[in-house]
Amino acid sequence: MTRIASIQIPPEIVAAAQAGDEAAVEAVYHATAGPLYTLLRRLVRRPAIAEELLQETFVDVLEHIGAYEGRCPLPAWIRALAVNRALMYLRSPWHRSLEWMDKDPGGADRLPARERAASVDAGVERALMTLPAISRAVVWLHDVEGYTHAEIGLSLGRTPSFSKSQLSRAHTRLRECLADSAPVAEELPCTPN
Amino acid sequence: MHTELKAWSRRLSALSGFDAPAAGWAGVLAARRRRQSRANLRWPVPIAAAVLALAAGLGWWLHVTQRDLAQATAAAALPVPATEAVRAENARLEQLLATLPERRVMRGSTAFTVAELEDRLALLDDRLTRVTLEPNAPERSERLWRQRAEVMNSLVQVRYADAIGAY
Repeated sequence: MTRIASIQIPPEIVAAAQAGDEAAVEAVYHATAGPLYTLLRRLVRRPAIAEELLQETFVDVLEHIGAYEGRCPLPAWIRALAVNRALMYLRSPWHRSLEWMDKDPGGADRLPARERAASVDAGVERALMTLPAISRAVVWLHDVEGYTHAEIGLSLGRTPSFSKSQLSRAHTRLRECLADSAPVAEELPCTPN
Repeated sequence: MHTELKAWSRRLSALSGFDAPAAGWAGVLAARRRRQSRANLRWPVPIAAAVLALAAGLGWWLHVTQRDLAQATAAAALPVPATEAVRAENARLEQLLATLPERRVMRGSTAFTVAELEDRLALLDDRLTRVTLEPNAPERSERLWRQRAEVMNSLVQVRYADAIGAY
């Protein structure tokens, strides 16, 4: 899986995008859309919501590219926009009202067969999807995207300690879930206690 | 502990990614159009609300002005009615009636007369409530109030006579 932070965008494309060249922003989109969509899918689970968040992120890029000062790589800046949008969504009353649906193991949590088959570790995939939204976001941002606890705490409007405790509990739950599901048939959903 | 964190990082990073959405860049442009149309709606809505509020305020002002004008016209058109004096007489008689002792036992003929007068009062009160809707309402109303005053006077006399006879 390609990490967003490691995506290289040619400097001339970045400069053109900063100058407001829409074609350059489109090129950046094609270079980063896959990993960004994966990140959003890990955070919000629902494909339609993840797609909408990706689109809204790039509308933000089009509208605010002038604010990008080049202090970090452009993909990392776009990732920050996407993460902020996703966390905003997770904190929204709209998402909370739909959380009960996400708890349905046969619902949105279940990945399409093709995606499950393509996964290197279907057990980890399934265990990850059973975590509560905020815990899953903390795990993914820390373990995969390389965010620090301070950055996660700041993004969530909480303290770094909150991020640490969430991560610790999430790892424990992942371990338990993997231990429970190891000898069981693949199709059984992994549900937390 | 640190090793475990790295292990989780490796395992999670090894998960397969998702393909970018099929809508692609066209989806982004469509989302931008939606956002722009929402932004364009932001001003018309407050303007429409302000226009509606202004229209409602104007309507209310016209309504109040016309009502006041109609009341002033009606008041000017009618002379000071004699009804007021007759009403005052009715009120005086009712107060007088209220001061008379109410006997639990009275002669049959007296009770019959009192009941008949009270019935006539009730009938007159009923007609008075409806007379405002009839043509020539002021004149008819005055006549009814006069009749009521006469009936009230009779009732007071009967009750007074009955009260005196008891002592």
